[in-house]
Amino acid sequence: MAELVIDHLVKRFGAFTALKDFSLHVRDGEFVSFLGPSGCGKSTTLAAIAGLDRPSEGSIRIGARTFYDGTKGIFLPPEARGCGLVFQSYALWPHMTVAKNLSFPLKLRRVPKAEQGRRIAQALDLVEMGPYADRFPHELSGGQQQRVALARTLVYNPEILLLDEPLSNLDAKLRDRARIWLAELRDKLRMTTIYVTHDQVEALSLSDRIVVMNKGEIAQIGTPQEIYENPTDAFVADFIGTTNFLTGVAAGSGGRMHLQFPDGQTLGLPAGARAVPGQPATLALRPNQLLTGDGPGTALKARVTGQAYVGGRWQVSLDIGGNPVRLEVEDRLEGDTLTIRVPDGAGAVFRASADTLAPVTAGAA
Amino acid sequence: MTVLAPPAADATRRSLFGEIPIQYGLAGLTVMLVAAPLAPIILQAFSDKPLYDNGAFTFANFSRLTGFPGFWQMALNTLLFGLIATFVAQVIGTAAAILIGRTDLPLRRLLGEVFLWPLYVSSLILAFAWATIYGPSGYVTQVAMLATGGMPWDLYTLWGMSLVAGVSLAPVSFIYGQAAAASTDPTFEEAARIAGAGRVSTLVNVTLPLMKPSLFFSSILIFTSSLEMLSIPLVFGTPSGVKVFSTFLYERIGNAAIPDYGVAATAALVLVVVIVGLIALQSRVLGATRKYVTIGGKSVRPRPFPLGPFRWPVFTVVVAYVLLAVCLPLGILVLRGFVTFLHPMAPLADVLTLDNFRVLAEFPSYARSIWNSLFIAGVGGLIATAFITLVAIVVHRSEFRFRRPLLYVALMPRAIPGLIAGIGFFYAVAMIPGLAPLRSTVWILMIAFTMAAIPLGYGAIAPMLLKIGPELDQAARVQGASWWRSITRVVLPLLKPAIVACFALLFINFFKEYSTAVFLYAPGSEVIGTTLLQFWTQGHLGYVAALSTVQVAIIAFCIALARSVFGVKIYG
Repeated sequence: MAELVIDHLVKRFGAFTALKDFSLHVRDGEFVSFLGPSGCGKSTTLAAIAGLDRPSEGSIRIGARTFYDGTKGIFLPPEARGCGLVFQSYALWPHMTVAKNLSFPLKLRRVPKAEQGRRIAQALDLVEMGPYADRFPHELSGGQQQRVALARTLVYNPEILLLDEPLSNLDAKLRDRARIWLAELRDKLRMTTIYVTHDQVEALSLSDRIVVMNKGEIAQIGTPQEIYENPTDAFVADFIGTTNFLTGVAAGSGGRMHLQFPDGQTLGLPAGARAVPGQPATLALRPNQLLTGDGPGTALKARVTGQAYVGGRWQVSLDIGGNPVRLEVEDRLEGDTLTIRVPDGAGAVFRASADTLAPVTAGAA
Repeated sequence: MTVLAPPAADATRRSLFGEIPIQYGLAGLTVMLVAAPLAPIILQAFSDKPLYDNGAFTFANFSRLTGFPGFWQMALNTLLFGLIATFVAQVIGTAAAILIGRTDLPLRRLLGEVFLWPLYVSSLILAFAWATIYGPSGYVTQVAMLATGGMPWDLYTLWGMSLVAGVSLAPVSFIYGQAAAASTDPTFEEAARIAGAGRVSTLVNVTLPLMKPSLFFSSILIFTSSLEMLSIPLVFGTPSGVKVFSTFLYERIGNAAIPDYGVAATAALVLVVVIVGLIALQSRVLGATRKYVTIGGKSVRPRPFPLGPFRWPVFTVVVAYVLLAVCLPLGILVLRGFVTFLHPMAPLADVLTLDNFRVLAEFPSYARSIWNSLFIAGVGGLIATAFITLVAIVVHRSEFRFRRPLLYVALMPRAIPGLIAGIGFFYAVAMIPGLAPLRSTVWILMIAFTMAAIPLGYGAIAPMLLKIGPELDQAARVQGASWWRSITRVVLPLLKPAIVACFALLFINFFKEYSTAVFLYAPGSEVIGTTLLQFWTQGHLGYVAALSTVQVAIIAFCIALARSVFGVKIYG
């Protein structure tokens, strides 16, 4: 049973705390992604699990084996952990052929020669790299190297698979293909997997659960749907998916709150919104919650501030009650105003103002 | 894929090759190596009697040193010698770096090679070579005297020896200048040309200012090297009584009837402190340099800068320099080995002989010095390479607690001139009871040479080690390899070219080293350098020339071998 339990993990570099009180329980066979911008602590956590970095406090265990325990002073060196780690740069040993790269971990485990050959062939077949056993890493393309790196990790059947941004060194087209392939492999193997990425599409499409991290802390843990549809704070809403933010002053009371914009327009907030009347509130809306054309919902008047052709579609910059909003539409807009329709009860409400967020990445992606 | 593999064997096994014994062992060895010569010097400097006499603590040695007749003159000489040598070296080296590195000078590759020769040959041999032709009874001096009727120049002065030292250190300036010139973005110069600046204006206003940080850095390096230099002050200064720190030390301990250990150790300590200060200054300059150095990691091949009408005149000047400063002295030194007597009036055919070489072969102690040098270079070079490689790996590729302090200790020999390392080990062997058997053996020389060469070897290993991504050995660790196995199976194989280069560098360095050996050798453990000095002092110029020829020939052979077989470039 390879369940991973991380308890109150802390990592400090001098006075800087890179990881604050990180706790997580990964079930056997579960595929969990650590998602966040660079510097959020996701790689630090991965290095702590693999044993490449010694945490400052807390504990890490897999099944019954304790990898690290700050209070008991236990720290297993990486070689004693039996993890499989695929590095961002693949870390294939350039002086060994593909087969030699794969046989190294088997030799360390005293696997008999014949058995080695069988396992290597099996692992290479699994990643569809069978014919390349005698090549050197520099004779392979980026995508092929990435597969060999995965095979080198799978060949010794690690208890847990750790993937550190394995697709980030591939170009966009190849990355899409590799992601689909990785999803198939995941279904075949059903291994306990930690997947570190800053790419939300990878995290959403591959994971059973996602851990969104920000500034060394867990922002939200949940299934892809939960995180996309019910982000717990503005950071998660902004980081996952394409989001536009509308900030105004909350008004009304009880179940019927609405948002008041400086230009006098109002927009109803979803039921049960955590907003305080008279205080600023922010509504996060996905692209499918900002519609054009007729239909049910609240109509808002938007001023068109710019248009750009992005191939097949037009990207429109709008201003709704002082909030910058970006949308994609089929045809170039005529005139400088546009009516936007927000379905009733759409969006997630946060008390924080959108100005305090990271630069808005919404709209263009 | 369902059968779980057994756990990695390395994870459970504890052996001698665990990280703890290797890392602490290496660190301990490094500390001992560096402390062995330094500790006795420091103790002796504050002791009123020779160390073996259990003297009392005192500061008197400092006042005795400064009160020494001629001390202040000697200190002034040292300063002037260093400044003039640095100036000469920088003018020649920087001019050569720009002309050879950046212009369309004809034959610039070949000229660049020949320009570096003084680095391969020891400065001792260069000193002999210059003395043989430009000294008072030198061949060229004689020719000039016959032509003019008077003494045309005198190299046996402070100015003369500074000039020769400058020439011998010019290749250092050349290497740093070339590196700076090569890393400068040529578009800066092109922009100046397009803006209307002429060739000279571009050189003065763009090229040279961009090289300024590097010039500063190498100036301190060259100044330090000239402070440590024994050979040239000994050959050119001693006959006329011009003393500097190194020759003062040499005479105080080596040749004085009753060596004054306290004063010598104090002088050594003063020199070490001055050099430590210079190195500190150098690292501050280096820190400041990073702000405006223009390295972008680009491998732009700078377009050669056209010299235009000056191309051939400049070529003539450069060729004349290379011939007069490098080729002619070395050529005539070799020729001197094959004659009984060299004078413009004596016909060459009458004086040709192989006697000088015959003497080298026949006298056991002479032949032994050659074998000892080869043995120290070969075996010592191997041991030192292995040791330095491991130190670099522990510093950069381990979680060893004291890896930063280890690096500081390992680089400390930069501040310890060879001569002083020799004195220090000489004291250490006399003082520490267990070391007595090492006395008068080639092994103590090997140990001293190794200590002195740690920074040099580290410089050959570290850049490549830093280029090997740490995830390569981390991958091995995660897959179940112990630290030591990740080093032997992943890091060392990838580091092979740097290790070979390090060995080639140390081999040549050990083979030509003499200043560390002058206080440590004894009958039986002579090396080429000490025998050369002995011949020179006794006035056996033919033997000096012959033995120098042997050393130069072996070095040339080794460099050619290293280049053709391993593709190793020793410098630059």
